[in-house]
Amino acid sequence: MRRAASLLAALLAVLVGLAVSISAVVVTAQVPEVAVKYVEGAIPLDPNSPVWADVQGVEVQLASQVLVYPISPTAESRTLLVKALHNGTHVAFHLEWSDGTQDVATPGGLDVFPDAVAIQFPTRLGQLPYICMGMVDNPVNIIYWKAGAGAENLVAGAGYGLSPEQRDALGLARSPVSPVELLPPNAQVVAARAAYAEGTWRVVLVRPTASVHPLMAQLAPGQPVSTAFAVWDGSRGERGGLKATSGWISFVLEAAAEAVTEVRTVTETVPGPAKVVEVTPTWAWAAIGVLIAVIALLLGLLLRHRQT
Amino acid sequence: MRVRAQIVMVMNLDKCIGCHTCSITCKNTWLKREGMEYVWWNNVETRPGPGYPRRWEDQDRYNGGWTLEGRKLRLRIEVRGDYRPPALEDYYHPWTYDYERLFSAQQFDVQPSARPISLVTGEPMDVEWGPNWNDDLAGADLIDEDSNWAGLQKEIYKQYRDVFMMYLPRICNHCLFPSCLYACPRKAIYKREEDGIVLVDQERCRGYRYCVSACPYKKVYYNWKSGKSEKCIFCYPRIEVGQPTVCSETCVGKIRYLGVLLYDDDAVEDVAKEPEPRNIVPRFLDEVILDPADPKVVESAKKAGIADAWIEAARSSPVYKIVKRWRVAFPLHPEFRTMPMLFYVPPLSPVITEGERALGAKVVDLFPMVEEMRIPVRYLANMFTAGNEELVVGALKKLIALRAYERSLNVRRPGEAEAARKLLSEAGLTERDAEEMYRLFALARYHERFVIPTARKKVTVKGIGIVRP
Ligand code: SF4
Ligand code: SF4
Repeated sequence: MRRAASLLAALLAVLVGLAVSISAVVVTAQVPEVAVKYVEGAIPLDPNSPVWADVQGVEVQLASQVLVYPISPTAESRTLLVKALHNGTHVAFHLEWSDGTQDVATPGGLDVFPDAVAIQFPTRLGQLPYICMGMVDNPVNIIYWKAGAGAENLVAGAGYGLSPEQRDALGLARSPVSPVELLPPNAQVVAARAAYAEGTWRVVLVRPTASVHPLMAQLAPGQPVSTAFAVWDGSRGERGGLKATSGWISFVLEAAAEAVTEVRTVTETVPGPAKVVEVTPTWAWAAIGVLIAVIALLLGLLLRHRQT
Repeated sequence: MRVRAQIVMVMNLDKCIGCHTCSITCKNTWLKREGMEYVWWNNVETRPGPGYPRRWEDQDRYNGGWTLEGRKLRLRIEVRGDYRPPALEDYYHPWTYDYERLFSAQQFDVQPSARPISLVTGEPMDVEWGPNWNDDLAGADLIDEDSNWAGLQKEIYKQYRDVFMMYLPRICNHCLFPSCLYACPRKAIYKREEDGIVLVDQERCRGYRYCVSACPYKKVYYNWKSGKSEKCIFCYPRIEVGQPTVCSETCVGKIRYLGVLLYDDDAVEDVAKEPEPRNIVPRFLDEVILDPADPKVVESAKKAGIADAWIEAARSSPVYKIVKRWRVAFPLHPEFRTMPMLFYVPPLSPVITEGERALGAKVVDLFPMVEEMRIPVRYLANMFTAGNEELVVGALKKLIALRAYERSLNVRRPGEAEAARKLLSEAGLTERDAEEMYRLFALARYHERFVIPTARKKVTVKGIGIVRP
C-alpha cells in the first residue's frame, strides 16, 4: 500500500514537472501561449522567404479601438496572422493581413495615410502594463512600422512619470514632448522589411532578444512575453488612435537545445488551421496531464482495492 | 471672472482692394518651403465664390467646428465619425512655369512658351483650378459654391443688375475655443498664455491631421514633406518685439488693425454653447470681451498676472474701439462655435455708389436703403453674425452715418450738418466717436492702427485649454 502511494506521488511529480518544463507557468497564464521556434543562424528578413511559409502562425483577432477619442465610426474586427522565429540573439515577427489598398505617403498626399502595423511589448516582464499604450509607472515598448517609412522603436506611457534626470539617463529629451516617444539612437535596433501583393501586406519586424535599452524587456527562452498588436488601414483614414488593436498574446521563446523535438510534438499533436487556441501546447499538455493523473489515480485505487 | 489678454486683428473690408499683397508677403516670409507649396496662411477670397480650400464653409463636406448636443459641445468630426482632411485637389495643385525654356529654346518663328510645371511632381501639368480661381467672375456659376446664400435667391445675383462682389482676406482666427486644439489627441496645439496666439508644437505633432479636419476655417495645413501640420503663427516673432504681422504691415489698403482685447475666459465656453446661433455674437461682445476701463476688470487682470503694459495697451486698443465700443466688426462664421478672435468690418461702399448713382438719393437719405444694398445684408449676416441681420444693419448704419457726417463737415450744404448729426445719433454714435472712427478708418497712422505692447506678460498658468470638454 505504502509503496503504491509513493509510486503515485512520484508519478504525479513527474507529470507536473513535465508540464512546467514544456509549457511554462501554466497557472499564471491568462491567455494561451505561442511557441517561438528556434532556428540556427540568420532569420530571413524577406517576408516572402520560403522559411516563413513553413512556420505555423497564429490568427490574432483585432478590433477597432473604441475606448478613447478618436473613435472609429464603424467598429469592426480584422485578423492578423502572426508568425515568429528566434535565433538566440534576435526574434522576428512575420505579420500578415489583408488590406485592399496599398497606402504609402506620397508627395502632395494631404489625405493619404500610410498603412501601418505595430507590436507592443512590456518594458519589463512580470506585471502586465495597461494595454492601451502603457501607464506612467508601467510603460510599453512599441515597434512601429509605417508603409514607406520603415520601423521605429518607441516607448509609450513613460513620459510623465520620470524626472528630468531619469529621462536624461534613458537618453530621452529632458521634458517629454509626446505620449509616444522615439527611443534614443542606440536603441533604434529594430529592422523591418515589407511586401505588398494581391491585397495582402506581409511585414517582418526584428528586434534583439537582449534588452539594449532599459525600456526594452529582455526576452529569454522559456519566459513568456506578452505582446499586443495594432494595424492601421490608411485607406480608411486610420492614423493615431483610429486603429484596430488586439489583446495581449503570450509568446514563449523555445530553448535552442530542446526546440526541435518539442516543436515536432506540438505540430504533431495539434494539426489543422492556425488558431491561437489550437497551436498552443498549454491546453493539450494540461489535458494530457489531467488524463494521466486520473488514470494514475484510478490505477492506485484499483491497486488499493486489490490489496485489501 | 478670469481675465486674459490677446493680441487681436480687425480687418476693415470696406478698404480691401483685393491686391493679395498680404498673401504674397506672408508666403515669402513663412511658406517658401517644400511640402507647403499649396499653403496660404493668408489668402484673399473674392465673394461670392467657393473660397480656398474649395467650399471650406460647407461643414457637411468638411466636418469642421463644433456641434451643440443638448448642453454639450462636440467636435463635428467626432459626431460624424468622419476624420478625413481635404485632399490636395480641394485646395489646388500648386504650379510654377518652365521659365528656363524661354531662354534656352531654339529660335523659331513662334515664341517659345513656358509650360506650367507641378510644384509637387515636377511634371508638366494643366492648370485647372487655383486659390481664388473665381477672381473677377462675380455672378458666374461659381457663386453657387458659396455657402452664404441661406434666405437669398442666388439666381438673382447672377443677373447683371444685381451682381455684387467683395473681398474676404482670411488668416487663422486664433480662436478662444479652437476646435483644432481640442481635436489633437497628442495635445500638440496650444494657445499661448501671454498673447492668445494658437500654435502647433512641431515636436509633438505626429501629422495625424485631426486638427486640419476639425478647423472649420481650414486654417491648419498639412506639410506633406515634414509630415506635420502647420498654421498661421500670427508672426509671433514680430509681435513679441512690437511689430505688426507681415500681412498687416504690407497691407496696401491699410485695412488691418492690431490691438489687445481683454476677455473673460470663464464666459467663453458658455457663450460657445449658446443654443441660438444669432445670439452668439451679441453675447460674445457683451460677456466675453471686457472693458479695459472698468476698474473691476483692471483689478482682475492684475490679479491674473497681466502686465501693466498690456492693460495699458488694451485701453488704447483700436480693436477694442472697433469691436466693442462701436460694434462695427464681427467674427467670421460664429456659428462654428470656435469663438474666433478676428473681426471684420462689413463692406459698405458699393451701396453708396449704387444709391447715389442709380437712385439719385442724397447721402443723408440713405438709412432706409441699408436693407437694399448691393451686397445683401442677409449675405453679410450669414457670413459674420450667424444670420443676425440687426447687428449688420447696426454696423452699416454707423458707417453710413460716419460718411454723411464727414461729408457734411467738408461739403457744408445748408441743412446737411444737422441731418448728419441726426444720422449719427440715430446710429448710436457721438460726434467724438465719429471723429475717432474717421481718424482710425480713414487716416490710419501706423501707430494708431497697430498698438502692440512689447513688455511680455507674466505667465501664471501654462498651456490653457488642453482639457477636453
Ligand atoms: S481658425 Fe481657430 S480652429 Fe482654425 S486653426 Fe485657427 S485657432 Fe484653430
Ligand atoms: S494686402 Fe490688404 S488690401 Fe490687399 S488684399 Fe490683402 S487685405 Fe486686401
